[in-house]
Amino acid sequence: MTDFAQAQLRRQRANFALFLGPALFLLACFFVAPVIVDLFLAFTNMDRTLAVTAFTLENFERMFTRDSRLVASLVITAIFVLATLSIFNVTFALLLALVTTAIPKGFGAFFQAAWLLPRMSPSVVYALLWLWVVDPNERGLLNQILVHVLGMAPIDLRGNHPLFVIILANGFIGASLGMIIFTSAIRSIPEHLFHAARADGAGALAIVRHIIFPAMRWPISYMTIHQTLSLLVSFEYILLITGGGPFYDTTVFSLYAYRRAFESGQYAYGAALSLILIVIGVIAALVLWRLMDMRRLLQPPRIEVH
Amino acid sequence: MNWKFAIAAAFAGALFATAQPIFAEDVVIKVWARADRSGPLRAGNIVAAGDTLNKMLAAINSDKRVKIELNETNAKGYDDDALDLLKAFAVDKGPDIFVLAHEWTGAFAEAGYAQNLEDHIAKNPELWGDIIGPLWQSVTYKGVRYGVPQDSEVRMFFLNNDKLRKLGMSDKDIAALPAKVNAGEFTMNDLCDLAGQAVQKGVVKYGILHRPNAGPDFQMLTDAFGLEPYDKQSAKLQASKAALRNFFTWVKYCVDKKALSANNTSMSWDAIEQASFAGEEALVFFHGVWQVTAQMKAFKLAGKDDYFHKFTWINAPAGKKGGKPANLSHPIAYAVSAKSKNKDLAAYIVALASQPVPNMRHAVSTNHTPINYGEQSMPEVVEKGWALVAATPMLKYASFMPNHPKIGQYNAIIFKGIQGVETGRLSAQAATDFVIGELENELGKDVVIRN
Repeated sequence: MTDFAQAQLRRQRANFALFLGPALFLLACFFVAPVIVDLFLAFTNMDRTLAVTAFTLENFERMFTRDSRLVASLVITAIFVLATLSIFNVTFALLLALVTTAIPKGFGAFFQAAWLLPRMSPSVVYALLWLWVVDPNERGLLNQILVHVLGMAPIDLRGNHPLFVIILANGFIGASLGMIIFTSAIRSIPEHLFHAARADGAGALAIVRHIIFPAMRWPISYMTIHQTLSLLVSFEYILLITGGGPFYDTTVFSLYAYRRAFESGQYAYGAALSLILIVIGVIAALVLWRLMDMRRLLQPPRIEVH
Repeated sequence: MNWKFAIAAAFAGALFATAQPIFAEDVVIKVWARADRSGPLRAGNIVAAGDTLNKMLAAINSDKRVKIELNETNAKGYDDDALDLLKAFAVDKGPDIFVLAHEWTGAFAEAGYAQNLEDHIAKNPELWGDIIGPLWQSVTYKGVRYGVPQDSEVRMFFLNNDKLRKLGMSDKDIAALPAKVNAGEFTMNDLCDLAGQAVQKGVVKYGILHRPNAGPDFQMLTDAFGLEPYDKQSAKLQASKAALRNFFTWVKYCVDKKALSANNTSMSWDAIEQASFAGEEALVFFHGVWQVTAQMKAFKLAGKDDYFHKFTWINAPAGKKGGKPANLSHPIAYAVSAKSKNKDLAAYIVALASQPVPNMRHAVSTNHTPINYGEQSMPEVVEKGWALVAATPMLKYASFMPNHPKIGQYNAIIFKGIQGVETGRLSAQAATDFVIGELENELGKDVVIRN
C-alpha cells in the first residue's frame, strides 16, 4: 500500500470516529446498553433489595398466566397512542402549520412561539397547570368557566374522563413538534408554485390539496413513526397529572411497568414488562416503516445535483 | 532544594504525623428519617442524643465527638420511604440509624440490613428496662428484636359534633355513640347511613374522609369484617375471600349512600385536612390521635372539655351487629443498620433517644402514646397528655400489623381495591377478585388464599 493510500485510510478512520463516534457512543450508552441491562434483569429475581440471587423464567410465566392487568393496560396504551397521534400530533399539528404559515409571518411566528411555550417550561409546571385546569372543585379553571360564565354545574374531568385529560395534555404539547416539522416543509415548497397556482385561479383549499399536501407525505410519515414510538414509552405527564389513575384507568403499559418496578419494588418483573414494550416498539417501527415505504425516502436521489 | 527548608519540612511532617491523633475526631452517625409533620422529634431526639453524648465526651476531655448527619426524606408515606431506603442500602448508601414503620422490620431483617438488638438490650437493662412490654412485639421478627419502638398511637374516627347536632342528634345521643360502637350495636353500615344522610341533607360535603394513600388505617376496617392478614402457624400472609367480599360490599354500600367520596384517593393530604378541620366539610375524619394538635389549632379549642364538645371519637365499628369493634396500634420504630461500622455506638444513641424524658417530649407534643412505663406518670403527660389518657382505653380493641416482609405490598393491594370500588371502577365482587388475583400475582407463595 502506498503512503498516500495509507494516509487516506487513516483519514477515513479518523473521520469515521470524529463524525459518527459521538452518535454511536450515545446510541450505545442510552439505547443499546439499557436494552441489554433490561434483557438481563428480566430473567432474574431482582426484588426491592436490588439483589440478584437466581435466574428464572418466573417473570414471564407470571406475566402470561397470572397478570390480570396486562391486557387492560395494553388496550389503554393503544387508545392513548392512536388518539393522541391521530387527533393531535399529526392532524392538529398539520392544522397549526397550515394556519400559522397562511397568516402574516409575524403573527405566525408569534402563535408558533406560544404553542412551543409548554415544551420550554418544565414538565412539572405544565402538569401543575393541567391539574389546576381540571381541578374538580370550583377553583379549577375549567369549572370557573363552566360555573361562572356558562352557569353550568362543575365537572370532574380528571375523575370521570381521565383518559381524555391525558390525551389532551399530551396532545397539546405533542402537536408543537409536528407543527415545526410541517411548517418547515411548507416553507420549503418553492414560492413560485403558489404564485402559479393563484395565477391559475386556485383557491386556498385547492392550494392546500394540490400543492401543500403532496409535499407533506414524508414529514407526515416521519412524524407518525417518531411519535408512535415516543408515545408508546412516554408516561411523564400521565404520572404527574393522574398518577395512572383513578384506579388503573390511565395506566398505560410503560407506566404499568414503572409502577410494578418502582412502586412495589419488583424490579425484575418491571424489566420483563419493559421487554414486552421493547418488542412492541420494534415491531411497530418495522411495520410502520414498511407501510409508509420509508425506504424510498432514504434512497439516494436519482438526479445528481451539482 | 534548600537543605534548611528540607529539614524544616521533614520536622513539620513528623510533627503533623504524631500530632494527628490528638486532633478532634468526629465519628459520623448517619440517620435516615422521613420528614413527618406528625413526629419531628423522631429524628430530633436522635440529634439531641448525639448532643448529650458529646457533652459526656467533653466532660472527660475527650477530643472525639459524635456528629449526627440527618437525612430527612420526603417520601409520601412510610411504605414509599422503606422502598427508597432498601435501594439506598443496596447500593451501600445506607444510614447507621433509620426510622421505619414497625411492620417493615421483617423486610429489613430478612435483607440483612437491620441489626439484631437482643445482645445489646440484654447487656443494658438499665437503658431498656422501662419499655412497655407488649410494644416489643411490634419490632420482633422470628423471635428476635430488630428494632426499638419509638412511639405508638390510637386510631379513630373523629366525628364532628356540631354537624351531628345539625343532623338532629341530641348531646345525649352523641355521648352514647362510643359505647354503642364498643358494644357492637352501632355497625359500620350504621356509620355510612349516618354519614350518607349528612351528605344528602346538605349538612356536609363529605361523609367520611380517609387517608388518600395506602397505609395502616385500613387494616382497622378490614379487621372489623374479620379479615385476618396473618397466619401464625404457617408464618404466611393470608386472605379470606368471604371477609374481603364483606368488606368491599360495605365500601360499595357507603359509596352508594354517598358516605364515601369518589375522589377521596385523588385528594391531597392538605385538601383532606382542610376539608376535615377548618373547612368543616366532613362529618367523619378517619385517622389517629396525633391529629388532636392540629384540630385544637384549627378550631381554636382551649382544652379537653372544649375539644370533646366539638369531637367524638369512635373505634372502627363492628362489621355486623353484636360483633367486635377494631383499632390498630402502629408503632414507628428505630433500627440500627447491620452494615454500620458503629453499630454499638448507634444502638447507644438510640437508647439515649428512647429515654423517658426525650420520648415524652415527642409523645406530648404530637399526641403519640409513650413507650416507657415511667412516662405515664410524668406531670407533662398528665397535664398536657389528656388526649392520650382519653384515647388509651380504645387500645383494648387494638391489634398490630403482622411483621411480615411483604405486608406493605399486601396493604397496597387492598388499598387499590378500595380505590377501585370508591371510584366506581369495581363492584364488591370484582374488587375481591382483583385483590385475590393481585395477591396471588405479586406475593405468590407468601400468601395463602382461603374461602
